[in-house]
Amino acid sequence: MKLSSREVKGVIILEPKGKIMGGPDSTLLHDQFHDLVQQNKKKIIVDLSKVEWMNSTGLGILISGLTTLKNNQGELKLANVTDKIQSLLAITKLVTVFESFDSVDEAVASFK
Amino acid sequence: MVSMKKLVKKNNQIKVPSDLDYLAEVDKFVEQKLKKTTLNKSQLADIAISVTEAVTNAMLHGNKKDPHKEVTIDVEVKPKEIVITIQDQGNGFDPDKVPNPTQGDLIKVAGRGVFIYKTLMDKVEFFIKPHQGTTVKMVKEIKPETK
Repeated sequence: MKLSSREVKGVIILEPKGKIMGGPDSTLLHDQFHDLVQQNKKKIIVDLSKVEWMNSTGLGILISGLTTLKNNQGELKLANVTDKIQSLLAITKLVTVFESFDSVDEAVASFK
Repeated sequence: MVSMKKLVKKNNQIKVPSDLDYLAEVDKFVEQKLKKTTLNKSQLADIAISVTEAVTNAMLHGNKKDPHKEVTIDVEVKPKEIVITIQDQGNGFDPDKVPNPTQGDLIKVAGRGVFIYKTLMDKVEFFIKPHQGTTVKMVKEIKPETK
């Protein structure tokens, strides 16, 4: 998995690319959430358009990120959730936990 | 002294040490074995996700990340189904005692692996011999859908 990021209107957009399955690449994303909070960047969107699939380790990393942000008065939202990831979120009932948007623009606009 | 395990590939089998760094190799191996099947993208993803879930569990919970223990993955492509077995060298577990992750605390970080592969695969069986390892056998039917 590769990870890039950009900032739009004070919101950080994380762009993982590839598969999120566990192992060293996944800690990249996990650590990024902590680093961003340390930098006082607390509005985060994870753009999943280039994530082929993720397993429960990937879901766990997103949950961990969500919790980290919430505990620091921040927010984490998802954008461009692919069909496969959407079905995983549905079967694990995590659709009720994450706020998702069809585009990054819509997700950015949702931050107050 | 027993040497540390290494990755070994032979025909339809791959053996890896109990180290999550090898997950990507396992995924690549399975992808390669399924390349010429008529499974569609979604079915291939279901298999890939399920295998990584079972292998992760085998490494972390079965073999307790012991570098001297390995996980063996066999991929069998049959005319109407794909059969994948994942075997560890651990002490076994009771799959009926794995909690349902959709009940209770939804935001726990772990505990969804077994639930996910039981949902994504068409059939899952566990073969457990106490102190002799666990084998998870998972089956995906090759349904007549186009790629």
